[in-house]
Amino acid sequence: MLRPTKGRFGAVALALSLLPGAWADGPYVSDTARVSWEDNVTNASAGNGVLGAFSFGAGTTLSWLHSGGFSTLILSDLSADFTVCTSYRGLSNIEVGPRLEVRHKLGLGAFAPSLYAGIDGKATGFQDPEQSKIEGAFIFGYSQRLSEAFQVQLDGRLGSYDAQDIVFTGNYASLAGALNWDLDETWRIRVTGGWRAGDTVSNYTAVMSPYGWIPIESDALNLPGAWHYVRTFDAPFVAYRVSARTWSYGISVSPAIGRHTSLTLEVKRVETVGAAPYLDTVVSLSVAHRY
Amino acid sequence: MRHFLLFFLVVSLTASARASGTVRVVAKDPSGTPVADAVAYVLAIDAPAPVRPPADPVAIIQKDQEFLPYVTAVVVGTRVSFPNKDTVQHHVYSVSPAKKFEIPLYIGESSATILFDHPGPVTLGCNIHDWMVAYIYVLATPYFAKTGTDGAADITGLPPGRYRLELWHPRLAAKVGREITIEGTADSTQVVSVTLRPDRRIRRAPDSEGLGYK
Ligand SMILES: [Cu+2]
Repeated sequence: MLRPTKGRFGAVALALSLLPGAWADGPYVSDTARVSWEDNVTNASAGNGVLGAFSFGAGTTLSWLHSGGFSTLILSDLSADFTVCTSYRGLSNIEVGPRLEVRHKLGLGAFAPSLYAGIDGKATGFQDPEQSKIEGAFIFGYSQRLSEAFQVQLDGRLGSYDAQDIVFTGNYASLAGALNWDLDETWRIRVTGGWRAGDTVSNYTAVMSPYGWIPIESDALNLPGAWHYVRTFDAPFVAYRVSARTWSYGISVSPAIGRHTSLTLEVKRVETVGAAPYLDTVVSLSVAHRY
Repeated sequence: MRHFLLFFLVVSLTASARASGTVRVVAKDPSGTPVADAVAYVLAIDAPAPVRPPADPVAIIQKDQEFLPYVTAVVVGTRVSFPNKDTVQHHVYSVSPAKKFEIPLYIGESSATILFDHPGPVTLGCNIHDWMVAYIYVLATPYFAKTGTDGAADITGLPPGRYRLELWHPRLAAKVGREITIEGTADSTQVVSVTLRPDRRIRRAPDSEGLGYK
C-alpha cells in the first residue's frame, strides 16, 4: 500500500521559501521548545490499546514582512521543527514548511480587528517512514483585542495531507477559537476550543488470527477506511484511517519572562466522536522566544 | 530733571522685561512618590505669550520596538520626525483628535515629518506592534517642562505676572491646576499632587501556540 508522495505541495513550498528575501524585510526569528505528555497517543478507544507517550521538541520560524499598503501586510514564514517521542521512536519527526499569509487590519490601532488568509505547507519526515507526509492547507482567521486585557482569535484550516501510506493520508477542516486574558503584562490565561472534521488515524491493539493480525476489537474490521498492521508501538497494533469529528478544549497559563519570552503550561482535552471514538489529554510545557 | 526721569523709566522698563523667574514644579502621587513624564506648563493670564516652534524637527525614535521618549512636549507648529533605529519596520500612527496621521511601514529615517498644529494630547502607536505606545503633548504656551524621575521640572524664563499652572500625564485621573504669580526674578517651588490611573499596557511577550490537536 506504499505510494509515491505527490510533489504538488512540495513545488509550492519551494517557490514560497525562495520568494521572501528579495522583496520583503526580515527575517524575524522566533523559537519554541516544548515537552509534553499525551495520555492516548494511539487515539484508541478505551480498552483497545490506549498508550501514553512523552515527547519533547523545538522549532524555529523565520518570518519576512512586506507592506501591501492599505493596512495590509504580506507575511511569509519558513519553519523547521523537530519532535522526539521518547516512548515510541516511530513518532519522532522533523517538519519543515513555508507559509504565506495576507493580513489586513480593519483600521488603525491596537483594537482594530485583523483578518488573514493564506496557504500553509509542511513536509514531515517520521522515523516510521510510512507516516511521512506532505501537507497543504488554506488558512484563514480573525483576531481582535477587546481591551488591554482581552483578545479573541479565530483560526480556520482546510487541509489535505499525502503520506507514504494511504492510512496516514487524508483531508480535514478545522476551526479553533481562543480567548486571551492578560491579568497584567506578565500573566496570561488562555482558553481554547476547537472543532475538526476529517480523517484521523486510530491505532488498536492487534491479535494474531488465522487470517493474520486483526484488531482486538473485532467490530473495528467493519470500520470504513484503510487499515494495516503497524510497528510504531512496542506491541503489535493495527492503524485505521477513520473519518471523525473532534472537539477539543484547553486552558493554559502563560507568564511572560521579560519582553521577548514566555512560558506556557497547557492542558488540552480532545474528544473524538464517530465510528471510533476516543479521548485524549495533552499536557505541555513550552517556551517561546521572539528576537 | 525730565531727562533723568525718562532715563530712569527706560532703565526700569528694560530691567523688568529682562527679569524672569523660574518655577520648579514637583509632581507627586498621593503616597508621595515622584511622578515622572508629566508635562508641567503655565498659561499667561495677563498677556498672551506667543509660541515659537523650533526650526528643526523634534525626533521620537523607535528602538527595540519601543518609542523613545515615552512623553514629548512640543509647542503648536512643531514638526516631529520618527526615525526608526530598529531593523524591524514600524507603522506609526495617531488617531487622537489633536493630530491624526499615519506613516505606513518604513525602516530607517522616514522622510516624513509631521506638523503638530493643534494643542492637546496625541497618543502614538505602531499598527504592527500593538504594545508600542508614546505620547506627544502639544502646547499653546512657550513655558513648559517635563518631570524627571525625581518628579521635578523647571519652567524657566517666566516674566513677572499671573499664570495658570497645569500638569498633564498620560495616566492623569483628574485635571490639576492652580494660579501662581511670578514676581521679579524670585524662584518658587510648586508641589502638585497628582492621581494616576493604573499603568495598563498591552503585553509584549510572544505567544506560545501550544500543541495543535490531531
Ligand atoms: Cu512597530
